Amino acid sequence: MEIPYIFTPRKDTGMVNSKIAIWLFLASEVMLFGGFFSSYVYLRLGADYPWPERALPVLPGLINTFVLIFSSVTVVFAWAGLKLRKWRMFQVSMGITIACAAVFMVLKAIEYNVKWHHQAVRLKDYTILEGHLDYDKKANTGEVTKDGKPVFAEADQIHVATESLTFNTLRFHKPWVEELLRQAGSNGAKVELAEELSIQGEKIPAGTPLSVDLLTKIQKNHIQSRTNNSDVRTEALRAEWIATYAKPENADKKGWELAPGVNIDVAKIKDQLMLETPSVTFAVKPTTNFWFYHRDVKEGATQSRLRDDTVLNGKLLDSPVAFHNLDAIDFRHVVMKAEEKGIDPVVAIENTWLIKNSKEAREAWEWNKAQTAKLEQQLLEKHGKDENGVAKRVPTATERYRIGWKDFIAKADGVDRGKEEIHVSEEFMGPNYKLREPKHTFPHLKVPRDLVFLSGKFTPAWNTYYAIYFTMTFLHGLHVVGGAVVLGYYLFCGKKMYQSNPEWLANRVEVGGLFWHFVDLVWIFLFPILYLM
Amino acid sequence: MADSPEQIKKSIKTYTIIGLVLFLFTGITVAVATVPALDIGVHGFDVWDMILGLLIASFKATLVGYVFMHLNHEKKAIYWIFFGSMVFFAFMIALIMSAKSDPIHFNGFNFGLPF
Repeated sequence: MEIPYIFTPRKDTGMVNSKIAIWLFLASEVMLFGGFFSSYVYLRLGADYPWPERALPVLPGLINTFVLIFSSVTVVFAWAGLKLRKWRMFQVSMGITIACAAVFMVLKAIEYNVKWHHQAVRLKDYTILEGHLDYDKKANTGEVTKDGKPVFAEADQIHVATESLTFNTLRFHKPWVEELLRQAGSNGAKVELAEELSIQGEKIPAGTPLSVDLLTKIQKNHIQSRTNNSDVRTEALRAEWIATYAKPENADKKGWELAPGVNIDVAKIKDQLMLETPSVTFAVKPTTNFWFYHRDVKEGATQSRLRDDTVLNGKLLDSPVAFHNLDAIDFRHVVMKAEEKGIDPVVAIENTWLIKNSKEAREAWEWNKAQTAKLEQQLLEKHGKDENGVAKRVPTATERYRIGWKDFIAKADGVDRGKEEIHVSEEFMGPNYKLREPKHTFPHLKVPRDLVFLSGKFTPAWNTYYAIYFTMTFLHGLHVVGGAVVLGYYLFCGKKMYQSNPEWLANRVEVGGLFWHFVDLVWIFLFPILYLM
Repeated sequence: MADSPEQIKKSIKTYTIIGLVLFLFTGITVAVATVPALDIGVHGFDVWDMILGLLIASFKATLVGYVFMHLNHEKKAIYWIFFGSMVFFAFMIALIMSAKSDPIHFNGFNFGLPF
């Protein structure tokens, strides 16, 4: 069926149908993004932590803004080319538009990648540390992983001096059982069944070595036993109910009145029940240090639990979070909490674990204090005081209480804040550790595990700012990709239509272009809101 | 509508100029946010920076809508559709703002403005 009014305008609206359709679609898009923008406002106004103002690198965002504006110009040129019946002009302009979309997405991918590889840790005293965790290449444990990679100590690992392992027979994860066996093997330890087990008449003696096959066998038996026992209990209960209802004195009574008196006689069904084994314990001889990545284990002083419910019984060993490059220290949350309690922010900061225990952090804090004092003096000289004798302009909370990676570089280079030399690649990717290594720019720091409140990468889970940032920019990125696909279709598959009906193709490109301008329009707001405010 | 070849040729010039204006204002947005000498209000980010940033963004968005999206010579139906959605958007923002104002101890809307 032919769609009406595709290239000749409808009389009542004066437009082609596709134009009305795209504008209706764009109106729905305004409401969709409007919803997210209002969520942003709500999250920002209601944040119970210092909102990360101007936290994103401006240069990639600025380049992306230029790229999108430029592509908005080229997409109207492409449309004009079709209107002027200049196929070459259309081709070139549209090609540039699509290339711009690609550049935009590449820059976005770099920005996301940097976030996803940047570690953040919030201590229990609200100090926030940022940087990169790494393995200590000198502390090779001599072990190798299943993939043959050497195991280094001091990463974000949990170490447990394990005396015994208790597996959940339904949930155990085979690769982790194999990993435990591997670690036990490389430490020369034996993992053996702690107590004798009876499986459908077959006795498995204590001391049987742990294996995936054995656990699978126990699992099968447990499932069978559970099914059988549940059937037996249901049958016995049904018989009890039938017997209860059959009694003449119960004839007029309701079920809920009789229910308290209806119980299974366990003694009767005892012989039919099979032994269930919901968990099984294996002894580790001798006590051995097992380690797992932090993401896979919930640690405890005497018991740690893997995500598959396997319990490692034993003492939690020293498992620090080791920063090999600590590139930012943020005290703004400490200050916020101190002010809520009416404590002097500087006193609160100087009583944090970090300042008390790390010489390098203390030096950085002292340097930052001196820099802030200098800035305060400069602002006072330039802008003076108001009629109440209060300085008109003062350093921001970020300048006072956050020591960022650029500050560490300035400190190492021996220059004032803002005077440091930043490599262009660092403006996109963050600090280049190799480049800065000779000057020991970024401190090495070990944080005891029990001081860590929250640790993670800069992902949506870190805080509501990153949640809304990723939601909005990802949704916008999807629009960029979608728009580029449609415009690319016109470019690469439009020649035939151009030859038969160029006006139709021009209308299509105009409609596609309208969507593209909308994508640009959303970014015009996203850029200042997320990068500059 | 600018449909004749002469008018389209004329529009190409307009599009180029508007593109350059958009470039310029993008530069201004970044400059007022990052260059200390151009900082308005108190030192660092504050409500005045927010107002200025959003005003520039709105101006840029208006140019894109007005010229690139041809809203300067569009049919009435389009205005109804687009501005209808804008009203909805304004309503949503107003709803959020009013939700932030404590409904029990209500003492006027506070948008964080210093007056």
